[in-house]
Amino acid sequence: MTERTVPADTAGNKPEDTVISEILEMNPELEGIGQYQYGWADKNDAGASARRGVDADVVRDISGKKSEPEWMLNLRLKGLKFFDRKPMPTWGADLSGIDFDNIKYFVRSTEQQAGSWEELPEDIRNTYEKLGIPEAERNRLVAGVAAQYESEVVYHQIREDLERQGVIFMDTDTALKEHPEFFEEYFGTVIPVGDNKFAALNTAVWSGGSFVYVPKGVHVDIPLQAYFRINTENMGQFERTLIIADEDSYVHYIEGCTAPIYKTDSLHSAVVEIICKKNARVRYTTIQNWSNNVYNLVTKRAIAHEGATMEWVDGNIGSKVTQKYPAVYMTGEHARGETLSIAFAGEGQHQDTGSKMVHIAPNTSSSIVSKSVARNGGRSAYRGLVQVREGAKHSKSNVVCDALLVDTISRSDTYPYVDIREDDVTMGHEATVSRVSEEQLFYLMQRGMAEEEAMAMIVRGFVEPIARELPMEYALELNRLIELQMEGSVG
Amino acid sequence: MSTTDQTVRHGKEAADKVDGVPTGEDRVAIPGMSQEGEVLQEGRNQAGEPEIKHTKHGDISGVPDSSRAGRFSSYKVEEFPKLTSKLEDWRFTPLKRLKGLDETELTGAAPAVEVVSGEGQVTVTTVGRDDARIGKAGIPEDRVSANAWSAFSEATVISVPANVEADQPLLVDINGSSMDPAAQHIVIETGANSSALVVLRHRGQAVLSQNVEFQVGEGSKLTVVSIQEWDDNSVHASAQQAKIQRDGSLKHVLISLGGDLVRVTPSTRFAAQGGNVEMYGLTFVDEGQHLESRLFVDHSQPRCRSRVTYKSALQGENAHGVWVGDVLIRAEAEGTDTYELNRNLILNDGPRMDSVPNLEIETGLIAGAGHASTTGQLDDEHLYYLMSRGIPEEDARRLVVRGFLFEIIQQIGVESIEEQLRNSVEEELARHEN
Repeated sequence: MTERTVPADTAGNKPEDTVISEILEMNPELEGIGQYQYGWADKNDAGASARRGVDADVVRDISGKKSEPEWMLNLRLKGLKFFDRKPMPTWGADLSGIDFDNIKYFVRSTEQQAGSWEELPEDIRNTYEKLGIPEAERNRLVAGVAAQYESEVVYHQIREDLERQGVIFMDTDTALKEHPEFFEEYFGTVIPVGDNKFAALNTAVWSGGSFVYVPKGVHVDIPLQAYFRINTENMGQFERTLIIADEDSYVHYIEGCTAPIYKTDSLHSAVVEIICKKNARVRYTTIQNWSNNVYNLVTKRAIAHEGATMEWVDGNIGSKVTQKYPAVYMTGEHARGETLSIAFAGEGQHQDTGSKMVHIAPNTSSSIVSKSVARNGGRSAYRGLVQVREGAKHSKSNVVCDALLVDTISRSDTYPYVDIREDDVTMGHEATVSRVSEEQLFYLMQRGMAEEEAMAMIVRGFVEPIARELPMEYALELNRLIELQMEGSVG
Repeated sequence: MSTTDQTVRHGKEAADKVDGVPTGEDRVAIPGMSQEGEVLQEGRNQAGEPEIKHTKHGDISGVPDSSRAGRFSSYKVEEFPKLTSKLEDWRFTPLKRLKGLDETELTGAAPAVEVVSGEGQVTVTTVGRDDARIGKAGIPEDRVSANAWSAFSEATVISVPANVEADQPLLVDINGSSMDPAAQHIVIETGANSSALVVLRHRGQAVLSQNVEFQVGEGSKLTVVSIQEWDDNSVHASAQQAKIQRDGSLKHVLISLGGDLVRVTPSTRFAAQGGNVEMYGLTFVDEGQHLESRLFVDHSQPRCRSRVTYKSALQGENAHGVWVGDVLIRAEAEGTDTYELNRNLILNDGPRMDSVPNLEIETGLIAGAGHASTTGQLDDEHLYYLMSRGIPEEDARRLVVRGFLFEIIQQIGVESIEEQLRNSVEEELARHEN
């Protein structure tokens, strides 16, 4: 744990083997996030030389390097225009710390995508070994793996039997080359080019991400997994994911994210578009554990056609600021949207998360369950919108959000918006904010538990309804993170 | 701005297709969405027309402040931004129908204040704008309220002396008779350990921006009922601010029935610990009406309690109800106990209801905090229960709707007023049921 290093900083100083204690000395505000386990950085030549700032030349350069079709370049340039024009959000977290001119928009870490872990450069391979990704693959816990390092996917593998059934799982850049027809039809149709400032930016400079296509009637029984890592300081990661589940199909996609701890901030601004065709079901699980200097501003949206089900399982543990509200637009009758959201806000963190459910067709139903824990001065907010449009008769929606405050200096807010334009609907919203009570602690401690242990147990109980929806290895990981989060939280 | 900017704005750039692939508005798959995303409109404008109202960039300052704690307040109308539907505070309000309350000088004659009964222990006086009792409860929090503050020349002060427990409710009618934009200022103050019930009943024709203050003295108990039964064309914006001293108690009942646009913004602040506020609301929104209630409870003192219960019924084309309930628990407000409930009953096709309960909590040392919001039609189970006991469906429906609405009216505590309001609600319902 003491071997973590930071790379040369931008001013040209080379604190080559600076240990974490020195970083903390220089940055007292980082105290308390030393528990972050993924905070090491690799040696970094590609990242150090990458260009900062974004303009039409940068966009053309990215598109050129990828030899993209003309229409994609056109869309990128349009995205850039919208990005320049759209104002910053006037709500949510404080984003004034983002310096768009200081960000590196594209970093190519390796020339060739690898089909086996051995082919990867040693640094990158070690990173993923430390994160435990190859092990999960060896143990057949996942059906396919994609690993994105900086701007591009460096490793990719899918089980042969799935490939034979016609399942496509590859990085988005390669998919655009090999399956352009899907992109012509679906790319940017669920999250339009100018949807919001950050989605526009993503459209302009996107790179990497996953493309998934599941053919009619195919059930992918174990999850597909993607792993995103930022290594370069001031890096912007803009992956773009497009998932198309054809009629009567099923797929579960899982993504995880980490980054090193630096003195200055990085930006992660992904766009995820999902198309659930008739009677398809897609589950999308995120365990976001960026380090505490990443701004995580992500747009995720699914369209659910007739009888389709879209499920978001959204776990936000890391990052400095997260603003993310996975959405489901139910355009077909009997479509269903579901979000399970869990957020931990520790010191210096602002988790502004929630969900958006838009009922467009009749007999659609949605449910949002949100749990958040704030401790050590952290701030968590639930922000959600349920909209029932005219004509969406017999729609049902239920929203429950619970917040747990572990101490007296943290903060929790809820901003649930409900917009009903149809009379024949059932709508419910409920929220509670509670504090870990003296009695609960006393009860457990009286039975011989240490205070920290008791606190962790209460928090685990609180998030249990969501943890049990996670694949086992993630549920275990979540429990471990809760224990780490709770360390030093008492007293 | 450059011409490219213009072309993007109208979605009509030359290349709507590149190599046969659509890159313009045709790419968008979701109804009601343009290439700039959600069409955020206060109205019911659907379809993909890119009709977003673009203000010039500089309109909104760069630092986000979604917290209610940072809401701007000022006595000067020019210090507030011009109203646009982009302002969070005004996003649901049809601004054109404000009939200039935000812009024009409010020189019209204010509606007449007429004491119907109950004067004696409680006094009603008309004073000049420099009277010391004016302006203690709060500073205007929006442009329309500040405009009224700049314009009023005389104020009505309703005063309950210390230690007086008024045995008669004070009934005050506020009768409008002109559609010239006007301003009005009313102060209700209670001395220490007093108690009183005041009913303000707004009727007639008016285009009115009003500031109402409730200064609730130490240990005193004030019940205020504000009834809006305007004629169909009236416009009324009422900023009602309360300040509650130590152990004081306010019960605020808001009934909005008539008017083209009625927007009431009650805010409660605590000046010391031990305060208690109960806020009730009933709105009945008919065809074409816009009735909006935006309330705020600011828990800045320890050990205060608040309960909010607002209900609304909606019927008819373009009936638009808005309820926003902001509750803020500041770091100092330990031991706060708060619960907020909004229930909306939609009676037929056509209405729109926006319900936004916001809860911000800056301390964990609270006794309890929660909110709930439901919007829906009649509960089939209630109907079934009654029908299974032999009550015909029509009567059952009638009983359930009345049960829902009369719960708020019961809170008033003045039988004559309650009866009159029950009758008004019956009339409203009759329009729907026939």
